[in-house]
Amino acid sequence: MTFLKRLLEFSGIHPERLRTRWVSSAEAVEFVHEVSEFVENIKKLGPNPLKVKAKEAA
Amino acid sequence: MSQKIKEYVQKLLAEGKIKGFFGLREEHGHIMPHLFCDPKELDHLSLGDWKKSGDTRYPLNQLMIRLTIEYPEETFAVLVRGCDERGLKELFKWKQLKEDKVILIGIGCPDELAKACECEKPFPDSLIDGPKGEKADSQKVARIEAMDLDTRLQFWKAEFDRCIKCFGCRNVCPMCFCNECSLEEDQLVNTGEIPPANPTFHLARAIHMVGRCIDCGLCEEACPADIPLRTLYKKVAEIISKEFGYKTGFSVDEKSPFNIIEVK
Amino acid sequence: MEFKTVLSFCPYCGCGCGLLLEVLDGKIVGTLPSKTSPVNQGKLCVKGWTVHEFVTSPNRLTKPMVRKGDALQESSWDEALNLAATRLKEIKEKYGPDSIGVLTSAKCTNEENYVLQKFTRAAIGTNNIDHCARL
Repeated sequence: MTFLKRLLEFSGIHPERLRTRWVSSAEAVEFVHEVSEFVENIKKLGPNPLKVKAKEAA
Repeated sequence: MSQKIKEYVQKLLAEGKIKGFFGLREEHGHIMPHLFCDPKELDHLSLGDWKKSGDTRYPLNQLMIRLTIEYPEETFAVLVRGCDERGLKELFKWKQLKEDKVILIGIGCPDELAKACECEKPFPDSLIDGPKGEKADSQKVARIEAMDLDTRLQFWKAEFDRCIKCFGCRNVCPMCFCNECSLEEDQLVNTGEIPPANPTFHLARAIHMVGRCIDCGLCEEACPADIPLRTLYKKVAEIISKEFGYKTGFSVDEKSPFNIIEVK
Repeated sequence: MEFKTVLSFCPYCGCGCGLLLEVLDGKIVGTLPSKTSPVNQGKLCVKGWTVHEFVTSPNRLTKPMVRKGDALQESSWDEALNLAATRLKEIKEKYGPDSIGVLTSAKCTNEENYVLQKFTRAAIGTNNIDHCARL
């Protein structure tokens, strides 16, 4: 993960767009919290630059 | 420089210590890889300096692996520069070659080549002839890091856009020995799509270069689209060195972080 | 045991990239680009890189074949050539020379392409000749 984040950063993709977290099926609350927080972060970072470029190209 | 190498190899052949020597042969102005089994052939030995220092280097380790599969009991000698030796150290660990069946004929790279390559160590430990050059400063990676995130993405997308999926980078790589390459997997990389998934295709290859890339630069030399692959893989090596303390090809014992599991 | 690389040229398109065929004990086992060839300067496209694959491919035809019914069957050169000549003549007489078209290839030599266009224009009598590079 450390490696992937650094590589993405070098390629111009914000490392916070990638996250990994292990959640057990018994930890429903943690799962909801994790996903909600991630979605909030992504919204702050803005739309995926790769998708934006693809739309522009099309 | 080639005189000393020639004499060294001639002696090995005469003493029957090797079946053949993987080097380069010059013929009618062309330089090509060759397995020298007859000492007389060494009159045509080239060290890979055609018009500029090191401009006709080839993946000799790769050819040696091919021969070793057919003739596992034979011992070979091979011409190595700093990078080639790094490759061999890893190939021994990956069990593609046996250390006691390979004799390294080392040559050092001159300053101009070391600087062009930004080489970490432009000479092999098993040095027979040539200079013991100094580590060259890296600027290629720094140039990218000086850009902000958006500019970086624009830069890489433009570079990867020119990719024609010739697989030259993978084919020429002296460290790529997988029988089944994930880049040719239909379910991972769409057939008939040019350029291949941008930037996923090249990032996938970059990930596979962890603990594998020896920074020889043959990939960039083989790219018909002049994509700065070497810069990308140099960054990969930098990340692994900084985060995991592992430098590819510098040790014969230490295994890379992606290769610690021993399969007997 | 003999291993060498042999300088050759890509048989595909008209660029003429220089490549090195890796030959192990008389058999072609791989391809490398020639770094000393001015045309390609050590680079190849995917077709050039895989030249060694088709040379020893089991899919290559080794004998002339003629379609009898639904299946292709091995035949002799005489039988195959006679059939081709007879049928082309029949079609030319029945439908005219312009009903026949000829497709050549960058993989053919210049000499082969010359013969093919001469055959099309002089023997068959049509201008319907084209080349895979134009498709």
